[in-house]
Amino acid sequence: MQRRNFIQQVAALTGTGFLLSQCQTTGQHKIPGRIVGASAKVGHLLRDKKIQGAPQSTTQAEVVIVGAGVSGLSAARHLYKQGVQDFLVLDLEAHAGGNAAAGENNVSRYPWGAHYVPIPNNDLKDYLSFLQECNVVTGYNSEGLPVYNEYHLCFDPEERLYINGSWQEGLVPRNGVPAEDLKQVQRFLDHMHQLRYAEGQDGKDAFAIPVNHSSADEQYTKLDGITMKEWLLQQGYTSEYLHWYCNYCCRDDFGTRYDETAAWAGIHYFAARKGKGANAEHQDVLTWPQGNGWLVEQLQKDYRDKIKLNSLVTSIRPTGGGVEVLYMNVATGQLQAVHAKQCVVAIPQFVAQRMLAPELNRQQLVQQFSYAPWMVANITVQELKERRGEALSWDNVLYNSESLGYVVATHQSIKQREPVKVLTYYLPLTQGDVVTARREAAAMQHEQWVDIILNDLRKVHENIAAAVTNIDVMVWGHGMIRPVKGFIHSDARRLLNKSINDTIFFAHTDLAGISIFEEGFYQGLQAAESVLKARMSG
Amino acid sequence: MQLLLLLAVFVIATCGLIYELVAGTLASYLLGDSVTQFSTIIGVYLFSMGVGSFLSRYFNRNLLRWFIQIELLVGLIGGFSAMLLFIVFPLSASFRIVLYVLVFLTGAGVGLEIPILMRILKDKVEFKELVSRVFTFDYIGALLASLLFPLLLVPYLGLMRTSLFFGMLNIAVGLFLAIKFSREIKRPGVLRAMAIFLILAELVAFVLSNRILSYSETLVYNDRVVFATSSPYQRIVLTRNKKETRLFLNGNLQFSSADEYRYHEALVHPGLQAVRSPKQVLVLGGGDGLAIREILKYSSVDSITLVDLDAAMTKLFTSNSMLVSLNQGSLLDSRVHVINGDAFSWLRDNRRQFDFVVVDFPDPSNFSIGKLYSNTFYKLLYQALKPEGIAVVQSTSPYVAPRSFWCIDETIRSVGFHTAPYHNLVPSFGEWGYILAMKDSVYHAPTVYVPGLRFINVATAQQMFVFPQDMRTTKPLAVNKLNNQALVDYFEEEWSTYLE
Repeated sequence: MQRRNFIQQVAALTGTGFLLSQCQTTGQHKIPGRIVGASAKVGHLLRDKKIQGAPQSTTQAEVVIVGAGVSGLSAARHLYKQGVQDFLVLDLEAHAGGNAAAGENNVSRYPWGAHYVPIPNNDLKDYLSFLQECNVVTGYNSEGLPVYNEYHLCFDPEERLYINGSWQEGLVPRNGVPAEDLKQVQRFLDHMHQLRYAEGQDGKDAFAIPVNHSSADEQYTKLDGITMKEWLLQQGYTSEYLHWYCNYCCRDDFGTRYDETAAWAGIHYFAARKGKGANAEHQDVLTWPQGNGWLVEQLQKDYRDKIKLNSLVTSIRPTGGGVEVLYMNVATGQLQAVHAKQCVVAIPQFVAQRMLAPELNRQQLVQQFSYAPWMVANITVQELKERRGEALSWDNVLYNSESLGYVVATHQSIKQREPVKVLTYYLPLTQGDVVTARREAAAMQHEQWVDIILNDLRKVHENIAAAVTNIDVMVWGHGMIRPVKGFIHSDARRLLNKSINDTIFFAHTDLAGISIFEEGFYQGLQAAESVLKARMSG
Repeated sequence: MQLLLLLAVFVIATCGLIYELVAGTLASYLLGDSVTQFSTIIGVYLFSMGVGSFLSRYFNRNLLRWFIQIELLVGLIGGFSAMLLFIVFPLSASFRIVLYVLVFLTGAGVGLEIPILMRILKDKVEFKELVSRVFTFDYIGALLASLLFPLLLVPYLGLMRTSLFFGMLNIAVGLFLAIKFSREIKRPGVLRAMAIFLILAELVAFVLSNRILSYSETLVYNDRVVFATSSPYQRIVLTRNKKETRLFLNGNLQFSSADEYRYHEALVHPGLQAVRSPKQVLVLGGGDGLAIREILKYSSVDSITLVDLDAAMTKLFTSNSMLVSLNQGSLLDSRVHVINGDAFSWLRDNRRQFDFVVVDFPDPSNFSIGKLYSNTFYKLLYQALKPEGIAVVQSTSPYVAPRSFWCIDETIRSVGFHTAPYHNLVPSFGEWGYILAMKDSVYHAPTVYVPGLRFINVATAQQMFVFPQDMRTTKPLAVNKLNNQALVDYFEEEWSTYLE
């Protein structure tokens, strides 16, 4: 038993619990830190049509890529590898990476968004060769299975869940869970295992990565028409623990509650991962202190000089035989033009439509795209007091919490002792409708986020308020695409993915319907392929 | 006078409750089951207050003097209660008796005080007023105590100093009253002297509370603690009795001077003697310099690199005369190069190759240390070894933890090493295990050993490589990897069953 326990018990016994709790929330020392990142203010200049005037100068490039997220960087990488050297990548932010952005303080690097990738499916050859290029795959064994670099495979202990008064290993609820529920959970997991290797009539995997490689067999695609929750109930899954777990997974991967997420997407989370390595299985993950920021660094390492940051694209206009892209230097406010033969638009569609001429009629379709707001915090902490059970793991989740818990950025350290750690805390804002949630999130102050975080984590680390030395917060207004009921198999996705005049191509995970690294990687790769094809024929 | 006495009630009530909270918290710390501890302590406390109230009828004269005397007594017992309990706990099974006696005495004292006080004041204040005021102050004092205790006292002072602090306060009130009312009591000088003496005694204890805590540590360690320090990594405690010196890290025995030679000779010589003309040696862990003492017996060795995490350890073993005589000043030898750093990180950056490597880490009892027994670590070890070189890995007890021992063997072999496991008896530890790791497939047992060894010779060394059935396992073993930490699970399972 820990000291704070006694204090609480003493407080309870002496009837001062109420006063004590008041002191904890209002009387704590002010936690340093700030709200950082995702330049909403600058972005809104575009939304509010506040940028006008003529470009001050014009340059030329073969290809312009708008957006330096995973899709844009992957497109650029592929072009570079195929010998196209004259391209330019533009991004609004001060750092490349998009959703996989990362930060750094004097303790560690840390992610601001996506923080891991699962072991890739073995049929993703391009992706695997990228991983081999950056030494994540160190080679192949005699059976042809990739050997993963063990510094990058997530170290044990990997996951723990705080449930019914103690930490258990893994995130599937087991501790204190009644036998009947455990049976249902096991039936569900077996069910997912079976769907993992299921094929449709067309011979394709029922659930594949990229999403577009999945079977079109109606027995599976019809799952897009109901929510994950509806599907669970249809299948006789009633356990509240299992429902929590599925809701957790949907919120974790899609920032969307399971009563909104399409069952097809919800199942895809479990069933699409079938990778196998010489030293890893499909449930294993690769991770780095800065999360997928590490992969982003690898994606851009050959052509860093061709990325122009702090550049807000304001217009993308087809011209005779090419495209004109206007962009504003965020620091100086100067407008510039670049004329190119082709353009890859690697940004979310709700932004892209504002840059493209209204006569292209994209607005109507974009209405069907919905994005999840998130709050991510990086918390610098000294030694934490622990509750009973499993030791501090990479991923630490609290049952029935509004948050997804936290990931330890310093987990992959080989050092014996890391007295100061950075925890990356994830909170998808899934209460109520997204528009309201987004607006409310934008209005929140740093102290309010800090209160939310500390009140959540205090349940598992009594001394959290005293142990924290800094909390930086990032609010993602449009964190990722939401694969709600009907979206993935809608026409909107397909129609908006079509190129314009073979000069403007689109690549983004919102066009896949699922925001995962592989989708971004292949979206970019395919757009780059299309560019190359257009060049050949042009 | 009235107000002063009422303020005294206030302080008494605060102190009384603090003693009770200290006792409850301490009992919960040491015995667990805080609900039981708190409820029995509160019960005993309230009951003994009742006893005190009952006994108050037998006090008929010199009430003010009695009042002050009780005040001093409560201050004495309450003040020293936490310290006494800390010291008594490791000593005896009768800890609970001492605990409840202390609670009873303070409770009875506090229970005596209120009725006596009311009687002192009964002629000066109307009864209705008196009851109202005395109990008001009493209960406000209780509230103050219950707020101060969790918010300020425990976090900032700790239990021992909290009780001493309130003991002094309690006595100070007595002293103050003795001075203020010196004309109304007999022989006030005696009371005053007693109070001052008690305050001083508690003050000394307050200042020395850390040292007293280490005395209590002595009791935990059985022997006299001759040195204790806390580094950022561990608590280092050295104990001494007539026969031997023992080193404990975080309470775990590292060696006893009586038989450490058995461990260190076995760790070093079977491997090092088998290397032809060893020059470059690496020691990972082992900041005590005892393995290095053995290594220095080889005249061909011209460089020993020691990588130990904890500067406090290497410093202790180069400066403490008793320890320097134990390791024969090995860490001061000009051939020894000490690096205080993380072994894994150091080895990852290292480009040198060595003739002989000693891997002497603590047992893999947690995920952090478990990394130092992973295949990834042994791959680095492989790179750091010359083709003809040999490494030796301390590998816990194959008798207590055969799965752990053979898991380490399996893991070492998984990276391409050939191994030669062996074991010997170190009375302080029990049967202990080591594994030689070589790039060469055959271990050529030495036919002669350096002179001056007390345990190892050709015959004993030969026996060490024989494993009886009770040091083997038939259960399947996984390779210990960073992403499965299989060894930590085996280790925990085997040692916890053994220690039960």
